[in-house]
Formats: sequence, structure tokens, C-alpha cells
Amino acid sequence: MKHRIFSIGLAALILFPTVSMLGGCGKASEIVLRVYNWEEYIDEGGEGTFIYDELHELDEDGEPVLENGKHVHIESDIVDDAYKAWYAREMGKELSPEGPRVLDDFCLWYERTHGQKIRVEYSTFGTNEDMYNEIKLGNEYDLLCPSDYMIMKLAAEGRLEKYDDGRDENGDPDGSYNFFDPEVPENYYVRNVSPFIAEKFENNAGLEISNDEAGHPILWKDYAAGYMWGTTGFVYNPEAKDAQGEPVDVEGLLEELGWKVFTDNTFRNKITAKDNVRDTYFAGLGLRYQDDLLALRDELSANAITQEEYTRSITEIFNATDDETITEVEPVLRDIKKNIHSFETDTGKSDMVKGTIWLNYAWSGDAVYALDLAESGETEDGEEEEAMLLNYYVPKAGTNLWFDGWVMPKGVSARGTKEAAEAFVNFLSMPQNAMRNSYYIGYTSVISGEEQEMLGYADYLYGEEEGTEDTMEYDLSYFFGGEASILADIEQATCRQLYAQFPTPDVISHCAVMDYFKKDESERINELWSRIKAETLDAWAIIVIVVAVLAIALSVVFVKFGDKIDLFRAKPKKGYRLIKQEDPNRL
Amino acid sequence: MKLPRFSRKTLCIPYAVFLVFFVVLPMLVIFFYAFTDENLHPSFGAFIKFFSDPTKLSTIVYSLVIALITTILCLLIAYPVAYILARSKMKKKFIILMLFVLPMWINFVLRVNAIRELFNLLASLKGMGWLASANYFKTVFGMVYDFLPFMILPLYTTMLKIDNSLYEASADLGASAATTFFRVTVPLSMPGIMSGVTMVFLPSMTNYVVSDMLGNAKVTIIGKFISDYFGNDWHMGSMIALVLLVVVFLSTWLSGGFKSEENVRGTSL
Repeated sequence: MKHRIFSIGLAALILFPTVSMLGGCGKASEIVLRVYNWEEYIDEGGEGTFIYDELHELDEDGEPVLENGKHVHIESDIVDDAYKAWYAREMGKELSPEGPRVLDDFCLWYERTHGQKIRVEYSTFGTNEDMYNEIKLGNEYDLLCPSDYMIMKLAAEGRLEKYDDGRDENGDPDGSYNFFDPEVPENYYVRNVSPFIAEKFENNAGLEISNDEAGHPILWKDYAAGYMWGTTGFVYNPEAKDAQGEPVDVEGLLEELGWKVFTDNTFRNKITAKDNVRDTYFAGLGLRYQDDLLALRDELSANAITQEEYTRSITEIFNATDDETITEVEPVLRDIKKNIHSFETDTGKSDMVKGTIWLNYAWSGDAVYALDLAESGETEDGEEEEAMLLNYYVPKAGTNLWFDGWVMPKGVSARGTKEAAEAFVNFLSMPQNAMRNSYYIGYTSVISGEEQEMLGYADYLYGEEEGTEDTMEYDLSYFFGGEASILADIEQATCRQLYAQFPTPDVISHCAVMDYFKKDESERINELWSRIKAETLDAWAIIVIVVAVLAIALSVVFVKFGDKIDLFRAKPKKGYRLIKQEDPNRL
Repeated sequence: MKLPRFSRKTLCIPYAVFLVFFVVLPMLVIFFYAFTDENLHPSFGAFIKFFSDPTKLSTIVYSLVIALITTILCLLIAYPVAYILARSKMKKKFIILMLFVLPMWINFVLRVNAIRELFNLLASLKGMGWLASANYFKTVFGMVYDFLPFMILPLYTTMLKIDNSLYEASADLGASAATTFFRVTVPLSMPGIMSGVTMVFLPSMTNYVVSDMLGNAKVTIIGKFISDYFGNDWHMGSMIALVLLVVVFLSTWLSGGFKSEENVRGTSL
């Protein structure tokens, strides 16, 4: 008996890692906030952070130097000494030179301001679908950071909890905490968020608004607080040379062909698409309906239609999933597959830097990262490479505008972590922290800052001093809500990091947001994707092969067991009985 | 102190528990999802959809063919190597064997990445441009490279165990070298071939890391489908996994993989 118990104990030991993962333990006095975010999507400290790179690289006069050697001195409360003072005030300790993690700073800050210890359990996912599966399996998190379409999907399925709006069930104000009240000093999100983003979140970026079970419209702004946003476009190599060493006018071709670069023979094996159905289907739509989209663009610029009508029209085109559209887009996607170098999710950046490809269909933040990487002359693994300049381009016919935002899954109130979750969002929304995250990951924060602090950041990174040659006024009023512009290098403003990270008003007005695929749509699109990704044989070929395989299998069975299976033996004549044959091995 | 004594039964409990939790239960879960719809009601929807979709059936066929070619190539390369190593009187043949097995000590993804870069480099040379779009070739190359040690090792161990007196007897009776090879070596190394084939054929049907990295994700094998479908349709994903399981089971059974120990000598790694 003792041994049996011992063995069971041993078995328990084997299972222990699993069990302990399910449990999760925390001290009673300590709040545990479980945050589930994209990989590499928050400032994780050390090299590559704003604090490490920018605040400690001072020249002999004590002024910050940018990586490209440019000296900047901008009166802004977001950089240098003012930043250090701000940090000391908020976190209650001196800024350490190695670049602290934002998550640690949050814990520090929360304890100081809320008087309670907190621990952040931080985990990451690679795709929205992975995250969705985790939630569906019942894993408990307090904060998630899905993309726009996944926010809509989660909200429509009733898996999310709304942010506190200071109202009771009937919608009357009850004096409780209101996340959206700009009068409350701790509400950094609502006070600092860009009016452009706030407007998009209020009307679901022009997409169809569905109702929840109680009949209330499902609005992003109730469920989500923005984090990062951007566009999709092409990273390209302006100095690409073909096999004969002749320069290729990639920029001119992009301008001329737009989405059609995907199927253009010049770019055979020199362009990549994304290995996920949403982005590549979007590109297929752009390619197939490019003429319609350009016609709409002309109408808009001729003021024949309003901006609203235009946006509605292109949103409709980029969200079409009916059978007819799929039939139209399928051959286009086939052509794309034939022409591209690869479907990729993360090899595109390094292939671009290595010169294997000339064009990489990319998200704007990844584009900024690739541009920085190429410029620094290093590969992703830190090897030395020749420095090169890459550019970013957005198709004229319109592109995808996307957002990632923080949402709280059902159950945060019950767990008592909602307050901490909202505080976390607010903490990340302080301009100084938004800047740190944005700097680290290359994407664009939704934060503009109460006093346009983020304009100072853009200026710090990309601004030029008055009187420098080849500069232009770069207008960002749409994002900051009110007069806002910086003086930028023409290259930066038309095709480089600034253009990728802070799109121009022109790019913004020609963008569409992509809705999530409803159930039947999702099925159709998945089938389409599998037809594109895999080869389909003719029906007769499949039948021949299946018959051949069955025949082989049966003959093998027959050869092996023919003498043991009654089915294969001749029926005995009438009056005789079948006798089981002895196993010959026994003799 | 007296050491506690265990009966066989009690010693088996940890293994049994392990098997139940990490083999039997997951299989049941796959089976459950394969035959339910999204409301978890019993349904043959995924089953019907799978077998009425030419793309999925074609992908199974493609995966089978890729796996078959990989296996044949591995066998063609590995057999002479194993034969020479086992039969030669070389003193340091262990080193040669090590050289073949050594790559297994390096992380698989790293190796595939290295090959990817090599191919990219080759494709940029004059006259080698075809390599950039030879995705099936590159996929099969990667698989052969990756699974070769799994073919060499079992073949080598089986051939080592062939009694030398059998060769002598064969020569005594006047058999030529070729006859000896085909009537002594090949039949006696059959268990090694079988276990090598099983170890190469089965994983090369599902190893989509190779087809993604070297085939530039333009080659799709059945493993990739399973992974893709688990993104948004578990029922179809489970159904494909189940079909694959059946295919694997059948091919193992037909190749005699379930035969009891007495007939198979020294083949497991």
C-alpha cells in the first residue's frame, strides 16, 4: 500500500508543472494583473529603449545625439533633463541608465499612487487567433491587446467587459469611477489620446455597428482603449539592381502600378506577401479593384464626392467577402502566389536588409523597424552589414488602417482587478510612457498628449532646425487636433520613417479599416486561403490515386493475412465445413 | 535502511498516469472536436467537408508524395553509407558516423535557416535564378538533410549485427558479391530499413517548418493545414489531424511496425 501511495506521489510529480500552471498563486495583499500582449510590443528595458539610447548618448556639450549622428536640441519637456525630472517625480526614484522596463515602472507607480502592491504577470502571443484560442479555452487574463477586428469579434461574442463609465445599469450617472472623465487627473488615456483615434473609436471607424444582446450598439470606445495604430504598405529598396546590374526604378513602378506590383513581372521573386489570409486578401482586393479605387480617389480630389462617401465606398470594397468577389479575387491571389518570393510573417525584414527581395508588404511599425535596421547597418542578429536606405510606400488606391487596443475580458470585475487594469492603460497613456513604447517597438502610439507632447517626440526624432536645406513643413494637425506640424527633411516626409510612423493626411484620407469575418464569411475565406496556399489536383487524379492506394493497401493485406482471413478464402462446397488453418509457425 | 521494494504493478502507475494524461486524453479531445460542430453537438460536418474538398485531399496526396520522395532519397543516400561504415575495417569509422549525426546536435530551426540563406546566396548567382522559385526542390532537400541521420542510425546498427560468418558462408557457397548483397545483406537489414522508413516518412508529412522556410510558404503540406485551421476552426483542424493519424496508423501497420519484438532486432534508436 505504501508503495502504491509512493507511486501515485511520483505520478503527481510528473503532472506537477501542469497543475501548478493552472493554479497560479499570489499573496493576498498583492494584486496580480495578468496582461496578455503581442510579442515585443512593450518597452522591455535595456538596449534599444529610449532611455538607454537617447538619454545617455550625450556629446561633449551634454546634448543628446541621435544614432545617425544628428545633433538635436529641442526645447521640449519630453526629452533630456525634463524627462529625468518627470521620471523621478512619477516613479519616486532616479532614472537608471540601463533603461528600466515599463512594466516594473508601472508596479512602482501603482504602489505609490494606489498604496497597494501589484505584480504584473506578463505573457505574449504571436497572432490574434492564438490569443482568441487562449481566451476561448477559458484562460483568465485581465488585459488583452488584440487588433481592431479581433476586438469586434470578442465584443460581438460578449467576451469583453466595458470600461467604467460612471453609470449604473440604466445608464444614469451614479458617481462611481468614470474612465472617460477628462476632469479626473489620473485618466491619462482619455486626456492624452489623439482626437483622431478617439473619433475612430467612437464610430467604429465607419464599419457597420452591430448590437449586443440588450440591443445596445457595440462601440469600440466602450470596450477598448487604443494602444498602437498604423497602416500597411510596402518597404522598398530604392537602389535595387537586377541580375544584369541595371538599376530598377522601384519607386516609379510602385507609383505607376500601385497594388499591381504584386503581379508585375519585374518583381518576380522580389516581393513578399503576408502569410495570413486577412492581409493578403486585402492586397488581392486592392489589386482586383484598383481601377475602381483610383476612380473614387479622383472623384474625391475633384470634390465630386465627400470624404465620408469616399471612405464608405472604399471600406465597402475592402470588406467584400461575397461569393462573387471571392470568385473575382481568387485568380488574382493565384497570380500573386506565382509572382512573389514568399509568404512570410517575419522573414521579410531580414530578406529586405540582405537584398534578397526589393519589396516587402509590411505593417508600418515593422517598416519603421526595417528602415532603422537597414540604416544602422546591422542585421537582426547584430551582424555588421553595409548600411542601406530603405523607403516606405503606401498605395494610392488606398490601404488598410488598423488599430491595436487594450480590452478587458469578462471576469475582471469579479476578480477585482478592473481598477488595476484601467490604471495600467492609463499609465501606458502618459505621453512619456507612450513615447518609450513607441520608440522601442517602432509602431505609432495612439497618444498625442494633452499639450501635444508627442509632437515634441516626433520633432525630436525627425525634426530639422529652421534654415536647413531640403526641408518641408510636415502637417500633423489631423492627429493632434489643432495646429501641429514639424519641419522635416523632404525624404523623411515623403518616404521614410516619419512618413511610415506618422502618416500624412493624404494617406489617412485614403484608408479603410477591415472588419472581422463573420462565421460564414470566415469559412468561405478560409477555404479560399487553403485553395490558394495548397495545390488542388483534378478530381480524376484524386480518384485514381485513392483507388491506387486502396489497391496497394488491400494487396498488402491480402499478401500478409490472405491465409488467415475467411473473407479471402474460397467458400467451401455445400456439405463441407471451413476448418481454421493452423498457424504454420507452430509446426 | 531497507530499500523499499516495488512490485512491477506499482512501478507502472506513474507511466500509466502519464500516458492517460498526455496521450490518451489528448487523442480523445481531438476525436471529440473532429466530430462536433461549433455548439459542441455531435456532427459529421467536418468529416463531410474534408472528404468533399479536393484541396484537402490533394494536400494529403502532395504530403504523401513529398514524404515518399524524401524517404526514398534518404534510403538511397543512407544505405551505402551505413553499409560501408558497418562493413569496413576502418579504425575511426565512429568519427564518420559522428559527422553524419552531428548536425542533430544543433538546433533544427537554425540549420533550416542556414540552408535558407545558402539557397538565397546560390539563387543570386548567375544562372542559378531558377533556384529562387524551386520551392518543392528546396523543401525536399531540407527534409532529406534533416531526416538523414534518422535513416543512417538504424541501418547502421542493424548491419553491424549481421553475423560475419553469414557472409563467409555465402562466399563459400560460391555466391558473387552482388548475390550476397541481395540475398544476405538486404533481407537481414530489413528491420533497419523499416524503422528508418517509419522515422523519416511520418515526420516528413507534417514538418511544415521546412516547407515554410525553404518552400517560402508556397509549399503546403498537411501539417501546415492543421496549424492554420487551429487558428479559427478547431473542428476541421481536429478532423485533419485525425485523418493524418489514420494514414500514419495504416502505413505503420502495413510496414509491420506493430510486430512484436522477436522479429525486429536492434532497430530502435
